[in-house]
Amino acid sequence: MTSVLLLAGGCGTGAQSSASATDATISLWTRDTQKEFINLVADAWNESHDTKVEVTLVPAADFIQKLATSATSGNAPDVASIDLVYLPYFASTGTLEDITELADDLPYKDSLSPSHRALATYNERTYALPFSGEASVLIYNKSLFKAAGLDPEKPPKNYAEIISAANKISDLGPDIHGFAIAGQCGGCNVFEFTPHVWASGGEVLSEDGSQARFDSQEVTDALTFYRRLYTDGTMPAQSRTDNGTHQPAVFQTGRVGMVPLGAFYTQVLKQDSDVDFGVAPLPGKNGGWSSFAGGDEIAVMKNGENKKGARDFVTWATGEQAQKVLADNSITPVRNDLTDEIYVPLDPRNKLFAEAMEKGRTPYSTVEHQLFNDPNGPWIQMINKAVFGGDIAAAQKEGQEAAQAIIDRAPQGTNARGNR
Amino acid sequence: MTPPTGLGRGAAPRRTPARAGVRLAGAALTAPALAMIAVFFYVPLVTMLWMTLHDWPLLGERRFVGLRNYRDALDDVAFRNAVLFTFEYTLISTPVLLVLALALALLVRRSGHAARFFQGLYFMPVVIGLAAGSFLWLFLFQSDIGPVSHLADRLGLTSRNTDWFADKTSALLVVIAMVTWKVVGLQMLLLLAGLQAIPAEVEEAARVDGANKWQTLRHITLPLLRPTLALVLVFSVAGSLLAFDQFFIMTSGGPTNSTITAVYEIYRTSFIQFKLGLGATFSALLMIVLVLVSALQLYLLRSSEPGSEP
Amino acid sequence: MITYSFKSPSEAVAAPPTLYPHDPSLEHYRALAGNGGIDVLDNVRNSVVVSLGTTLATLVLSILAGYGFARLRFPGSNVLFFATLVTFMVPFQALVTPLYLLLDEFGLLNSLLGLTLVYTTFQLPFGLFLMRNSFAAVPRSLEEAARIDGCGHLQTLVRVMLPVAVPGVIATGLLAYFTAWNEFFAALIFVNEQERFTLPVTLSVIAAGALGSRNWGVLQAGVTVTIIPCVIIYVLLEKYYVGGLLSTLKK
Repeated sequence: MTSVLLLAGGCGTGAQSSASATDATISLWTRDTQKEFINLVADAWNESHDTKVEVTLVPAADFIQKLATSATSGNAPDVASIDLVYLPYFASTGTLEDITELADDLPYKDSLSPSHRALATYNERTYALPFSGEASVLIYNKSLFKAAGLDPEKPPKNYAEIISAANKISDLGPDIHGFAIAGQCGGCNVFEFTPHVWASGGEVLSEDGSQARFDSQEVTDALTFYRRLYTDGTMPAQSRTDNGTHQPAVFQTGRVGMVPLGAFYTQVLKQDSDVDFGVAPLPGKNGGWSSFAGGDEIAVMKNGENKKGARDFVTWATGEQAQKVLADNSITPVRNDLTDEIYVPLDPRNKLFAEAMEKGRTPYSTVEHQLFNDPNGPWIQMINKAVFGGDIAAAQKEGQEAAQAIIDRAPQGTNARGNR
Repeated sequence: MTPPTGLGRGAAPRRTPARAGVRLAGAALTAPALAMIAVFFYVPLVTMLWMTLHDWPLLGERRFVGLRNYRDALDDVAFRNAVLFTFEYTLISTPVLLVLALALALLVRRSGHAARFFQGLYFMPVVIGLAAGSFLWLFLFQSDIGPVSHLADRLGLTSRNTDWFADKTSALLVVIAMVTWKVVGLQMLLLLAGLQAIPAEVEEAARVDGANKWQTLRHITLPLLRPTLALVLVFSVAGSLLAFDQFFIMTSGGPTNSTITAVYEIYRTSFIQFKLGLGATFSALLMIVLVLVSALQLYLLRSSEPGSEP
Repeated sequence: MITYSFKSPSEAVAAPPTLYPHDPSLEHYRALAGNGGIDVLDNVRNSVVVSLGTTLATLVLSILAGYGFARLRFPGSNVLFFATLVTFMVPFQALVTPLYLLLDEFGLLNSLLGLTLVYTTFQLPFGLFLMRNSFAAVPRSLEEAARIDGCGHLQTLVRVMLPVAVPGVIATGLLAYFTAWNEFFAALIFVNEQERFTLPVTLSVIAAGALGSRNWGVLQAGVTVTIIPCVIIYVLLEKYYVGGLLSTLKK
């Protein structure tokens, strides 16, 4: 019964066995998908500081749950590197330390990624600093472009050109496909599909996040575009059930002409395959382009023990030393005052990623996870049903209703609630 | 499996002080295990039931809402669909498992090296974790890179590009095949233990009386096996009704959310929609269903409990 | 699967798949050994400690209680026995949050002991079931003989009952070991520090690629590493197990 009483009383007090034992260490949690570079960042800090950063990699699929569970007790880490789309949620629940003054004092605050800054703001207070960038682009196989008689230096600039190129590439052989998507991965498709909508002048959420726009004309056009790619037979069969594992793997084998993916993937391509690839912006229906400006932000946890160390570390993480470690590992920096110097020279293709971080957008919602990233949620179900089922109007209607219901049920609306 | 009860019953009542000692010893020996279960199962269970009365977000403030979660749970279309799918899965997988396990148990029943070898072989997958097994089968059936898809292509059955998980029926079949491979060995073993408890003379007597193999099985073996069958059935049905990992890993609930089980929906509600109170309510409802289903099975297959004297 | 794990990264995703590695490579295992600063050996040791601890605790508790439930019946023992079986009726996912809060209160979060206790609890019902049935099958005459020789309850259990119930003991122990060895969800939620992770959690971390992608080759290597010890232990004990089963039958 004592535990029940404790629960009724609110958050646990648990002073014991915290993730950060002493002031000499700073515990940092991040998703396992960051493992390629996060330890290098930690090493860079450890070499130049007396305190030590201890990294814990958490399986990405369970990251929110684990961070949230720990935040309700005294077991939270000092610092967490969080996918920027989840910041409004964590900020709205009072899990993160308000670091508005710290952020405002940064001399380079205006050079930080605009999307990151927007997502870290909740009720005009700042709860995290930008850490790593990740923008979506169209990655294409230059050898297949050549083989199909396309100009590898002139990637497609609108829906019609992509469809035409995908068909020409698919015609090269039964095992060759023009275009691959991850049709059962919500996170992938908010990253890869929404830029088409934005580039065509549409929205998926209203500005304040209070209205879903899944039924807009621009979404219809983009769905019709994907549907056409599928019915023309340019997609591999696995695209329909791919939860994100197949799409990059199959491009790596050199049998797919185009995939919408991000900067992180170019590192994999350079390491593990000999595919000659190019990068291009994700276009709108009749031209123009957009991108999903994603990545991670780094936040001080309210229940962490080593607040001072945490503040020092998040500040340092936006600095030149840390950002250079990212750039060296094909991760887009979040400082546009540095990109020309430390990032773009490493690979000419990086220029597009840097530009996309500036121009890109990110949906702002405290229920982003339920709307978009949930692999069984309304966004990906709409896309899957429309693209592979064919009834686009019905899929949109159903998606819109489900999404709006989630938004309406979200406690207190999106940006209205005061900081607890 | 009727134990020779006469002896024990006759001996005990004569010495009542010893009987009290037996009770005390029984209580003392079972206490540690019961204490563990009380602390690490019943206390959390009570907490869970307490949660069902609250609007309990993963983060943020919780509010007492009385029975509202129960009303919401009964109205929840997604949960209802998940429950229906879970029943569908259970109704298909249970007979498959039980019949196959019984057939295997009868096959490996005789002594000898071959029988022993196959006992070991069939049981082997049981030691492999459900998650590891799911990943293994997911890989085997991957189109393009999976060996089974390749084999089916070679045999001219399907194309190598066939996506087994794009269709609800074939996805469900692959999952059931994996679960059968993984679980049938354990069920076989339990049934085997039951079979070996049947005295050989009983069946021999039947055969001497002119019953053929099938008749012996139907009229002698199966009725005697009833308590074991009931046990295996209860475990099997409970396992199927609580299925989660295999669908989470292999189908991710797809295609188009058609393979979401009840526990999958509980997971989604609790940890994707962050509604722990509603998730706990689903769990409580599922628990009630499970208790009822198990009680019904035990009632239908009731017979004298092995080794339970008054 | 084993052959897959030895393929080079590009061969692992080749289509059509190759039957055996044409270009054998330890790269996937190297990825396991030195990935992102994770010390896999540490995690293997954690898994061994937790699994052995769970096995031992489950065995001791279920042998004692199994005997109690089978032979030393007391008022309410039937009800209590059935109360343990209720653990099969509740999805573990629903108990994760309450258990988290409970372990937190005991200071057992982030500890292998806490994990062992949780695993033991959820292994106990099946262990109790198996042990109770094993003991119930032992002829009463054996027990009576021991009693007449002046043995107490514990002595009777250890000297007379236990040797006869060896198959049940092995089955209970094996199941507890394998379950603890393979468990993922509780291990993930209840342990925070990387050096205390168990193997399944670590493998999931290692096989993950960016944005939800999965490295099939590394995953196969990881699954191989998880499965092999189980299969070896099983093959070693399987003979003993079958032999024990047969010997009980001869009696």
